[in-house]
Amino acid sequence: MICLENVVKTYRTRRGDVAALNDINLRIEKGKFVVICGASGSGKTTLLMTISAMLNPTSGTVSVEQNNLYAMSIQARAKFRAENIGFVFQMFHLVPYLNILENILLAGGTVAGNNKNAKALELIEQFGLSGRNHHKPAELSAGEKQRTAIARALLNNPKIILADEPTGNLDTDNATSVLGYLSKFHKAGGTVILATHGTEAERFADRIVNLHDGKVTNPEKF
Amino acid sequence: MIIPTLIWKEIRHRKINFALGVLAVMMAVALFISFFTAAKASNRETARLMLTLGFNLHIIPKDTNMNEFLLTGIPDKTMPGQYINKLASQKKISYNHLMATLQKKITWRGNDVILTGLAPEVSLPGRKTPPMKDPIERGNLYVGYRVATALELHESKVVKIKDKTFKVVECLSETGGVDDIRVQCHISDAQEILDLPGQISEIRAVDCLCFAPTGDPASILRKEIGPLLPEAQVFHTRTIASARAKTRQMVKKLFAVIVPFIVIACGVWIGVLAIMNVRDRQQEIGIMRALGYNSERITLLFLGKALTIGLVGALVGFLVGTGLALKFGPPIFELTAKTMIKPDMSLLLYSLIFAPVFAAVSSFIPAMIAVTYDPAVTLREE
Repeated sequence: MICLENVVKTYRTRRGDVAALNDINLRIEKGKFVVICGASGSGKTTLLMTISAMLNPTSGTVSVEQNNLYAMSIQARAKFRAENIGFVFQMFHLVPYLNILENILLAGGTVAGNNKNAKALELIEQFGLSGRNHHKPAELSAGEKQRTAIARALLNNPKIILADEPTGNLDTDNATSVLGYLSKFHKAGGTVILATHGTEAERFADRIVNLHDGKVTNPEKF
Repeated sequence: MIIPTLIWKEIRHRKINFALGVLAVMMAVALFISFFTAAKASNRETARLMLTLGFNLHIIPKDTNMNEFLLTGIPDKTMPGQYINKLASQKKISYNHLMATLQKKITWRGNDVILTGLAPEVSLPGRKTPPMKDPIERGNLYVGYRVATALELHESKVVKIKDKTFKVVECLSETGGVDDIRVQCHISDAQEILDLPGQISEIRAVDCLCFAPTGDPASILRKEIGPLLPEAQVFHTRTIASARAKTRQMVKKLFAVIVPFIVIACGVWIGVLAIMNVRDRQQEIGIMRALGYNSERITLLFLGKALTIGLVGALVGFLVGTGLALKFGPPIFELTAKTMIKPDMSLLLYSLIFAPVFAAVSSFIPAMIAVTYDPAVTLREE
């Protein structure tokens, strides 16, 4: 279970403090597909980064599987992230000088385990990228890039996938395809937290969290 | 994926950034290499020039009639021969190649000649060097051009000066100077002829101050020799070589100012390139952070690249610097270039050690900037 309690994240700017997350309390059960909806600037990405152990909240606690993320050392957090969380971004964030296979294997550099190469090749086939192993990101379509990013996210068999506007740069067919892959991961028992300002992902969601000005506007009733 | 592979692939991807970094290191290294390679030839050339010009330090008895001495070059007084031993026993001193002489104007077979007795050269402890002049054996005589011509002397001829018999070993070629009327023999023979046992009229030496960074060589030598030989006085002949040495010292001083400037400029250049590289790679750093790469591995990516730039720059800089020295050294240092200007592998070793360290130090701040990038910020940028 992912649990956020009284999470506040304030950014300091020259024009004063900006509250990106404002007293967030959220529980996400293991194996759920949660869609975080909200307009640009509502705090969706900040919320994902906080859950991913990359962005220390100003106050409050974030725990995953009863591990208080921000009580851990930086090294332990990095290890936890590598072993448990996969990322998919709107801008794909593939490394431009690595080919598809190498981009996927990049995720394997931080987690122990054999047969990373075999697993990467399996993912390439699964995501319809066979024959493109040695192509660089610049030679791929947007859909192929995003499929590569999802394959990279899955290399270490994560328990959670955090997807930040994963379909934002894709056409309808590719968006449907990407959501299908995420749904498949969810059906296999993984937790998916997807941030979007659109509605196309809602049909896959177990739960929709609405964010507005850093606040959850539809809190779950316990 | 291992860090060296990532470094290599990134270098191949951003070739211009890498090439500019190598260029910066190469320039700094080439400057050092060419200077140090040529400097050895320059030092040696100056030293050789000094030697070819002969002794430039003259120690003569204190009560010498100076007008007479300056007029004839021959001191009218003598001093004990053991003075040379006092000088020769010194360790930290700015002269070498000590030679005792005894000179007197005499009349030989109706000709005015300068009888010059020369003792074998003495080197200072730990500073043994080949003699500037081959020692004269007792009973041998070297005759100046005018004397030999006037007296119809030739090699192997046996002659007498007063009651002493000599064999003419060499009739010297014309110099157009006082040496043409000089007759040279071993100092002991001269002492016997002149009836001045154990006496010398002059100690000649070569000063080693052509490399002294500052100060007037004559006053330095007087300070060193004065307390040792209070009964003697010191003359220092200013020569072309000393003028040349001063010019070289000036170049050295100029170099001492320019080199740090160039090194700092190259360092800043590498630093700026590294900062540009870090900025280009913000999102890459962000994704690596997201994938669990820690600060050490991110730092290694940048410092590893800097080390690679340093190694390649050192190698290329050594080749370019040595090439420049080989190309432009010989016309400048005509006497010594052939033997002194050659690839110095120890400089390559130093370059391969210090250039990567220099590049890594220059890239350290950018690497730290890379480490402190907040992935949450870089990954959200579109």
